[in-house]
Amino acid sequence: MSSSLEPQQQQKSQKQIDAKFTSYYLQRATQEFGEALDAVRSADDFKPDSSIAVLISALQQGTGMFSEEDKRAVICSEGAVRSSK
Amino acid sequence: MGKRFSYGGDAAGGPRKRAKVVHEAPTSEEVHASRQLRQLLVFDQDPARSRHGLQSLKLYLDELLSTDGGIKSERAKILRNYLDSEKPAEDGENPVYLPDIMHTWSHAGQTNNDNLMSAVPVVLVLLLRLLSQSLETVPYGLGICRTLLIKEFQQLISRNLTADKGKSFVISPTLRLLREAVSFDGGTIARPLFRARATMLKSLARNMGIVHMGEDKEDTKRPSARTNAIQFFLAAIKYLHPEAKKELLSQRDIVSALTRDVKQDPPYVLKELLVGLKNHIIMDDKVPREAKSNLLNTSTLVRLSALYQYRLDSPAEDEPSIADMAHELLLAVCTNPACGVLRQDAGFYPREIDPNTTIPRAELDDLGLEAVAWMNKFKTEVPIRNFTLSNFLPNLRPWSSVKQSELITSIFKVAPELVANYFINNKSFTFEPKLSATWIGYAAFLFDTVILPIPENLCRGPNVPELPPPTSIVLDNVLPLPLNQKALVRCLEHKSNMIKFFATRILVVAIEKLDAVITIYQDPSHTNKSIWNEAARRLVDEFCQRAPGIRNMITACQKIPTEDLLHREAASRLLRLCYEVLPQATLSAKLDVSAHLDAVLGRISNQELEDPRDFALGLKELESLLAIAGYSPGMRWFGASKGTTLSPFTQLLKICVEAPKGVSLEAMKQVLNFVAVEQQLVPGHAGHPGLLPLIEALQSSSKYASQAWPFLDNCLTQCASKSVKYVEMLQDIAQEIAESTSQNIDGPLVSPIILAIRDQLPHASKNGGEEVLKALGRILPSYLGLSVTVGESRPILSLIFSKMVSDLPDPKGKLAKAGVPERLEFQHNSWSSSKPKSEKKAVDTQDAATLATNIDQETLEGMLHVPDSLEAENSALMKWANKTADELVDEGYATSLIALLASEHASIRKEALVSILKVADKIKQSQYEENEQVWLLLSELAETAKDNINNGPLPSTIVAFASHALHIVRDPLHGLYPKVNIFLTRGPYWSLDKLPLVDEILTEEPNVGDAFYTQISWLLTYLIDGLRSASDLELYHKKRSRGPILERILALAVNPYMRLPLRTQVLRLLYRASSIEGGSTTLTTRFSVMNWLEERRSACADSSEAAVYDGLRRRIWETCDQQRVTEWSKNGLP
Repeated sequence: MSSSLEPQQQQKSQKQIDAKFTSYYLQRATQEFGEALDAVRSADDFKPDSSIAVLISALQQGTGMFSEEDKRAVICSEGAVRSSK
Repeated sequence: MGKRFSYGGDAAGGPRKRAKVVHEAPTSEEVHASRQLRQLLVFDQDPARSRHGLQSLKLYLDELLSTDGGIKSERAKILRNYLDSEKPAEDGENPVYLPDIMHTWSHAGQTNNDNLMSAVPVVLVLLLRLLSQSLETVPYGLGICRTLLIKEFQQLISRNLTADKGKSFVISPTLRLLREAVSFDGGTIARPLFRARATMLKSLARNMGIVHMGEDKEDTKRPSARTNAIQFFLAAIKYLHPEAKKELLSQRDIVSALTRDVKQDPPYVLKELLVGLKNHIIMDDKVPREAKSNLLNTSTLVRLSALYQYRLDSPAEDEPSIADMAHELLLAVCTNPACGVLRQDAGFYPREIDPNTTIPRAELDDLGLEAVAWMNKFKTEVPIRNFTLSNFLPNLRPWSSVKQSELITSIFKVAPELVANYFINNKSFTFEPKLSATWIGYAAFLFDTVILPIPENLCRGPNVPELPPPTSIVLDNVLPLPLNQKALVRCLEHKSNMIKFFATRILVVAIEKLDAVITIYQDPSHTNKSIWNEAARRLVDEFCQRAPGIRNMITACQKIPTEDLLHREAASRLLRLCYEVLPQATLSAKLDVSAHLDAVLGRISNQELEDPRDFALGLKELESLLAIAGYSPGMRWFGASKGTTLSPFTQLLKICVEAPKGVSLEAMKQVLNFVAVEQQLVPGHAGHPGLLPLIEALQSSSKYASQAWPFLDNCLTQCASKSVKYVEMLQDIAQEIAESTSQNIDGPLVSPIILAIRDQLPHASKNGGEEVLKALGRILPSYLGLSVTVGESRPILSLIFSKMVSDLPDPKGKLAKAGVPERLEFQHNSWSSSKPKSEKKAVDTQDAATLATNIDQETLEGMLHVPDSLEAENSALMKWANKTADELVDEGYATSLIALLASEHASIRKEALVSILKVADKIKQSQYEENEQVWLLLSELAETAKDNINNGPLPSTIVAFASHALHIVRDPLHGLYPKVNIFLTRGPYWSLDKLPLVDEILTEEPNVGDAFYTQISWLLTYLIDGLRSASDLELYHKKRSRGPILERILALAVNPYMRLPLRTQVLRLLYRASSIEGGSTTLTTRFSVMNWLEERRSACADSSEAAVYDGLRRRIWETCDQQRVTEWSKNGLP
């Protein structure tokens, strides 16, 4: 796989990849479950000071299901160009 | 509290009121000479004058403390001179320093003058602070501290400490004085001071309870008695030696008071408290463990955990909050065994059991897992070692706080015994889905619990124990109790996609964990392999009972919106895991993987996903579906489905060609190559890169490739459906070359797909006209050139190319002239790295090799022995009487009665027959949903048994069929429901020498599309159960119109699409036959089973499976009549 990566992407440290993947994951999750998240925000038990942290942490957990290789594959495709249209 | 009544103006007539304490402010004067100071402080009976002197000294000391230089300043000369003049003689036994002040203090004690009792400690505190500033004055300070230890002054201190609770102005300065004394000169007098603890620590617990009253925050300049008491305590633990700390912490009242009011303490005190406890007790290795345990009991932990809600502080951005500090402390306390709370546990093994108990071999053989007395004991209660933590955990609220959740899971990680215990003790909190912050918090907590690592060797010890852990405990760790089937099904059916998503994610990690546990169970190094294998089977069974069914998962997956990529990825991964880890559970699945795959392939190949990251995520979903397709023999790779123009295979190829650069396509290329080899599109021998040259050729001419897809799709489909035609065509070409050049060309040296392209080229214009031919004119030279580079036969390819050129647009004859390009660079990774992965469940090569050489009869038995399910206790005749129709059918009472028809005793059989008739009647009369069908089945069975009841046991085949058919007639959704019902309506009784439904299942089309293998699985289970005696075996090898049953089953196992679980079932049938007297001989002489096994072994790629064939071969040889077999084989065997 490494051969297909740009050198600068190879240099990206795993930490950066993790951070970028987490940010992408959260962005997708909020996009997919936006309506449900709004509903949770208006639920009786929602406390602004603690519930937001719980929500973010809960959504973010899913990143652990992806291997480092998977994360890299997703993030490093960011700068990819389609070979044909 | 009720309002106080006024008792009128006459105070004398009413109850006595407490006299109001009036603090008159003392007078003072500025100090300007040591002589004046001496005069001011000289003992005087008049309290006002004494206060005047002490107050003047206080102000003077305050001034010095706030001046630069302090005790060394010019202004401090007065004090130094005074102290010199007041210095007692060195030779005295107990020299009293500051005799005048001390005298005033004693006198105040005698006259009960609280103001003076308080004023003296106040000035002593300031004086000690000042004296600690210079090495020269430290000895004087020590002198004062030692003076305090003189009995007379100890009593004064004690008296101050025990003053009324309302007299904080007396208590607080005294506590401050003790704090200064204990920490003076680095704690020099801490030891003697602690020896006098009877007085020095008097009422410390009580004083810790005198909290700040009032609505305002506690003033840092006027700390409460509690604050002073805590600061004294912290100073003491800083300077006391470990034994003294132990003694101090053994005083329960002090330990309890220390944290009782912690929620109201001001932030600075809490910081000191948390840091002090951490540095001087918890992390102090010299403090004995039991001393720490005394401090860190459940109530201390609970009170500290209340600080998670502490909101009185407002920390700066880079400063930790009190809640953060408390969290850090609790994390350290609860997860570090040196802190005295955490005790070493044995992972999945509860307290009080010995997992290395020796159980007699015979007992294990007879009873299996039931021989382990404690195996089923811990479903409702788990004995644990970590009592403190077990009591503490229910006080936390993991669903509402990330940190509390982190604390619990961190504790679970180091004390895995607590997982099952925690959920058993906290049943009130359910996982019933609700779109609320609490549910999401709980789901997140459960997710974190499931992903916890498996304890090392299951027991946190150096070796895996002899016996497996209790199944219920392992299951509670894999899928904790709140995650029951009902709740999870409701989650998967919930209208909110987010709830479905959370449930799906949890199930994914749970199955992954189950897989990891099973791998440990199946480790070949276990001594009691059969027990571990049985435990693994039981674990999987119980997991399936607690988890939602595959149908629920499939339905949930089908309802996910196409644009929800994360959700789709998780759901497809879940299905894939089910196929890989729980293959038995997926037999009932009705998943049309082709349709799913079509949809995903369409979405990806049409480039609907603009963001390349979405594209990469879409590929992850695709990978899972491709894996499922690999497990599903019904997958239709070639032939476009309704609404699509390309077949799934070509779409996948298109995705690989058109994918953005940088995207990992390995998994897809592996699948493409796997299918291409299987369908003979490319040669299957090692070293050939499969379809990769085609992919590379298409990529290098990507701008033309888009024109060629319909044509290529047609060629691929043609090649897959008529592979023989193209193999023969290749042989003809090879022959042609051999004849023309006298060269002998061996082997399949060219990919058949090239021949298919050549074959279809004349029709290419139908698939898009001249544009296609133009595109092919670019692609084909490159493809053939790359094929030469990777080692395909150049002469053959040149010949094919010369024939192709005639159909390609080549007006100037350039193509024909150039021929197949030479030395094209093939850039793809070598074939070896793209080999299809072996099945996930296969053990790695080294293990497999070990297994292959080491597989013994015990291991074989563990794998292939199936307990006799028709062995029923005679008590079944009595047990059914009071049961309802539902219980009779669903809980196995009817099945037990059926099994008794195979009893050796005629009386039992007769009684069973009567009972079956009664049961049939009872069910018919009941409201049971399928009462008619069940009645019919039981009645026909009774009719069949009636005439033969005295002639011996009913054939096991009939009994096994009836037992298994009963499960079908009660479930109209079962794939075999129509067939069983047709069989039952065919006649009132069954032929004893026929095996019901065998023909129908083996030869007829399944009623439901993809249910063939589900039906085969059912048939094999019934055939295994029906083979128990030599007479049963006769029925299996009896000649029949379509051949003996066993022969047909052996032929069935050769089906390349049959997966490992079903192949293993066939081996179990053979194993069962080999357990019957004469069985192995019959298998060998009538069915040549030794050759069959040999052949299966050589055809199988997985070495661990090969080892099983070898093992079974050995077993058959060992259990057959060797002399007869040797003669029969003319010495060809073994």
